[in-house]
Amino acid sequence: MKSRITHFLAISLFILIGASFLAAPAWAGKKKDTLNIAFSKELETLDRYFNTAREGIVMARHVFDNLLYRDPVTYEYKGLLAKSYKWISTTEMEIALRQGIKFHNGADMTADDVVYTLNFAANPDNKVRTQRYSNWIKEVVKSGPYTVKILLKKPFPAALEFLSGANPIYPKDYYAKVGTKGFGVKPIGTGPYKITEVIPGQKIVMVKNTNYFKDSPKGQPSIGKIVWRTLPEINTQVAELMTGSLDWIYLVPPDQAGKLAKMPDLKVVPAETMRIGYIVFDAADRSGKEHGMKNPFKDLKVRRAVNHAINKASIAKNLIGGESRSVYSACFPTQFGCEQDVKKYEYDPSKAKKLLAEAGFPNGFETTLYCYRNRPFAEAMVGNLAEVGIKAKLMKMKYAALREKSRAGKAQMQFLTWGSYSINDVSAITSHFFEFEEDDLARDAQVRDWLAEADSSIDVAKRKALYSKALKRIAEQAYWCPMFTYVSNNCFSKDLDFRPYPDAVPRFFQAKWK
Amino acid sequence: MLIYTLKRLGLAVLVTVSVSFVSFMLIRVSGDPAIALAGEGASQEEIEFVRVQYGFDRPLIVQYIEWAGRALHGDLGESPYLNQPVAGMLKERMGVTMTLGVSALTFAMVLSIPLGVLAAIRPNTWIDRIALAISVMGQAMPSFWFGLIMIIFFGVHLRWLPISGSDTWKHFLMPTVALGYYATPAIMRLVRSGMLEVLASDHIRTARAKGLRWPKILFKHALRNAIIPVVAVAAVQLGFMLGGSIVIESVFALNGLGNLAWVSIARSDLPVVQAIVLMLAIIYVFLTFVSDLINAFLDPRIRNV
Amino acid sequence: MTQATSNNKFDSGLGLDVVFPSPRQIMRQRMIHHKGFIVGGVMVLLIFLMAIFAPAIAPHDPFHQDLSIRMIPPVWNENGTWNYPLGTDNLGRDYLSRLVYGCRISLLIGFSCMMIAAVIGAILGLTAGYFGGTVDMVVSFIITVRLALPAVLVAIAVVALIGGSMKIVILVLGCLIWDRFAVILRATTKQIRAIDYVQAAQAAGCSVLRVIVLEIMPNLFNSIVIVATLEIGRAILLEAALSFLGMGVQPPTPSWGLMISEGKDLMLFNPYLVTIPGVALFILVLGMNLFGDGLRDVTSPEGRS
Repeated sequence: MKSRITHFLAISLFILIGASFLAAPAWAGKKKDTLNIAFSKELETLDRYFNTAREGIVMARHVFDNLLYRDPVTYEYKGLLAKSYKWISTTEMEIALRQGIKFHNGADMTADDVVYTLNFAANPDNKVRTQRYSNWIKEVVKSGPYTVKILLKKPFPAALEFLSGANPIYPKDYYAKVGTKGFGVKPIGTGPYKITEVIPGQKIVMVKNTNYFKDSPKGQPSIGKIVWRTLPEINTQVAELMTGSLDWIYLVPPDQAGKLAKMPDLKVVPAETMRIGYIVFDAADRSGKEHGMKNPFKDLKVRRAVNHAINKASIAKNLIGGESRSVYSACFPTQFGCEQDVKKYEYDPSKAKKLLAEAGFPNGFETTLYCYRNRPFAEAMVGNLAEVGIKAKLMKMKYAALREKSRAGKAQMQFLTWGSYSINDVSAITSHFFEFEEDDLARDAQVRDWLAEADSSIDVAKRKALYSKALKRIAEQAYWCPMFTYVSNNCFSKDLDFRPYPDAVPRFFQAKWK
Repeated sequence: MLIYTLKRLGLAVLVTVSVSFVSFMLIRVSGDPAIALAGEGASQEEIEFVRVQYGFDRPLIVQYIEWAGRALHGDLGESPYLNQPVAGMLKERMGVTMTLGVSALTFAMVLSIPLGVLAAIRPNTWIDRIALAISVMGQAMPSFWFGLIMIIFFGVHLRWLPISGSDTWKHFLMPTVALGYYATPAIMRLVRSGMLEVLASDHIRTARAKGLRWPKILFKHALRNAIIPVVAVAAVQLGFMLGGSIVIESVFALNGLGNLAWVSIARSDLPVVQAIVLMLAIIYVFLTFVSDLINAFLDPRIRNV
Repeated sequence: MTQATSNNKFDSGLGLDVVFPSPRQIMRQRMIHHKGFIVGGVMVLLIFLMAIFAPAIAPHDPFHQDLSIRMIPPVWNENGTWNYPLGTDNLGRDYLSRLVYGCRISLLIGFSCMMIAAVIGAILGLTAGYFGGTVDMVVSFIITVRLALPAVLVAIAVVALIGGSMKIVILVLGCLIWDRFAVILRATTKQIRAIDYVQAAQAAGCSVLRVIVLEIMPNLFNSIVIVATLEIGRAILLEAALSFLGMGVQPPTPSWGLMISEGKDLMLFNPYLVTIPGVALFILVLGMNLFGDGLRDVTSPEGRS
């Protein structure tokens, strides 16, 4: 009897182990002309106007085309679906469309599609999630079968940026038929890749659009099939890349990237992104005025002390790695108007201590540092603050919850990041945070007026001068503690020819197998 | 039996309603769904607008009654985040979690029943000790940690098994072991003590005295009796495993209910979270209901309780 | 020995054997001969000592960061150094010091959760067991509802929505894991209540509170301690799972679950970041369980189930 049971056990064990031997790693990729990639966030919908994650931008660039295209190297605007564009006045732009472009379902792309899509996005009743991209449009009118006019509410210098960075063109008839919901699971565009399969939360399969229009500044797609998986954990992504089940991942932390770079089959290319990390203070003292909290940060000296206390260079070098650099101005260095000649607070703990003492905190104080991502970075900041006597408790919250707290005026010190939606203009960051909207914790009327004037001016030199003034004052008043730029480590198979750009939007339509 | 069944059924329904009420309240009191819905960069007006649009501004109890009323008709509402009906989303992911749960339970039984039997036949020998060690370890091993260690070893070093996803049965091997191992001790202890008790009982002694062969006694008489409570416990364990799959699914990036719950929590997609809690509660209640009936069927005394 | 307690044994109907304290000498004898009890006790004792003397044992400040000495491997590794016996973490903090202080966190959370759970469970169990009838029915219903609630999922959802902190974690877990206390105390109270001297006290006109506090509570002590040790282990594992998912205690608190979570991103290249806190967690929970099981065996040697 005993032997029978032992047998049974032995057999079941044998089966288990044997089974695992059978599972050879699937080294897909080049051999099957399939690019296996992974992102960490699931897209809520594939309708670009209704998703808010960066993955949505990446997806949109592959499946759809915009009217304009911004060259990722020269930042020059070119026509994409538009053959040409010109300003008729400061509030009117005329666009001539290319002819002969077809949507994935075979329908022709005409002025009707452009008019329909942009008017849909600009109409607040449709409640697109990306209001900021399209709410500057007053109306789009058809002026011919392949020409349209875009009418603006007021002069808007970032119009070209938004037409190239956002606002993809949809097929009118199809969208009207399936609606937002239907489009969200089965989108159709003119882009270099078309979507063939969607398993929510798991994967999206795209195949090359063999009829992609020849003159596209995006170039012609080369790789036959892209399998896009959602893998929330970076360690899963790294493990899958190491075992060959994935061909490409990005936003890999520097430690892992360093190790991956040493592996024979892999290549690592670090690329700086437009995202910056910064600390924002409750300088307007809402926590004190509205909630009776003790708020040391209303004191300029304390804000300056924090600026001196944070060792941004060390965090950039040790935790972010690659080409990450320190920033001192409240914007990303390449952005239009991002004044670099501002007051710089270098890492200097003793100066920070002195400032704190002057502010009446010779022994520091206790506070809370709120954050919503990059916990290790935040921990390093807490360590820096502790050195000068500021005992900060770290509180990591969901983005939405933290924002609520912040907007209620209850968060005194927050470590935040901002990617400017990859828009290379200061209006996408500084104006967003310093014009008395909910996320403005400084509430400096002077800064607001300069920014607002700059935003609606189309005189380049004047804009530059106004932004410069505003940014200088922001630094002078230390409303923020700007810290560092983010670097995305692109890690991929040696078989892949891939080039990353600073906007952190990977372009697989330009990728090739070697 | 009919009266007993009806009584149990009534209780099951009542429990389900209470669980749904408690979980609805707990989750709603903890977080504000409107902010998450409005998305990154939304203004206060937009948030207020969403709040009114989705009816989050009404009293919780009204919202609950409405939600429960619709749930009765199989309408679990719509995920405001994904703009899809929640019921459909659950259906899509149910398969993965069920496969994981059932295979984990099977694994636990395949491991624990033979071990429990062996341990009972030879109490206080090395095999008993090994069985005990396996069971004690299983209870103390954090399942997520066990999963990570397996990924490092079998996934990356040996490259035997795929690390994430649910495409083939191979993808389920590691999660199954990680999840199933935790249930092993409870079942094994039950089998062991049940067997010990049965083996010491009169009718086994009689059977042996009658000269029946030992394996026959063991399988036909002893094991059959000892396994009855295991059925009940197994049903309950399955319920627990489905609830606990959230951790394992996140470790192995399995696209099941647990993972859906986890990402939905992360993006404050509360209708989905509520629906999953309700779903798991219903499954648990159903399983205990069935196991109650089985027990009552096997042991008539229970019916009068 | 068996003889001595056999007539004190009662069947609760839940498969749980409940026994009154036996004479001390017998207990001591059993303790010495019970390996699991001794081993578990020693493990728990060592961990307690480690927690108490953490400042003396830890070679460095567990919170002190030095980005220039990040991820030094443990001493047995070729690049290891005795300055940092278990290496350093992602932020250049001494891993041994964090581990030593981490056991304070784990024990604190385990104990606090257990205390909350014990209070809730004891109140429910005692009232149900003592009063019986409708009260019992209501309490049993509450227990059933609690069991049907997927605890891990609800805990994660609530903690995530409110925002993780040690206080929240302790409160949420404490309020979710009282079920075993309630079940066992209810059964035990029921039996004790039926005993002559309790009935005598009632007949003599003692107030309900007096009977419960003076006559019943002392007899529950054993059961409470046994359940408590097991519940501490359970709470510690749950906290680790929550922290692992990033929803538990917040950094820089050196919680073991958090250490695993922080180490997991680098586990493929620096496995020690995950294995060391995992092993510590395993040993602590193992010790607790062995000790708890042993305690039960010692108080009822035939009740090993």
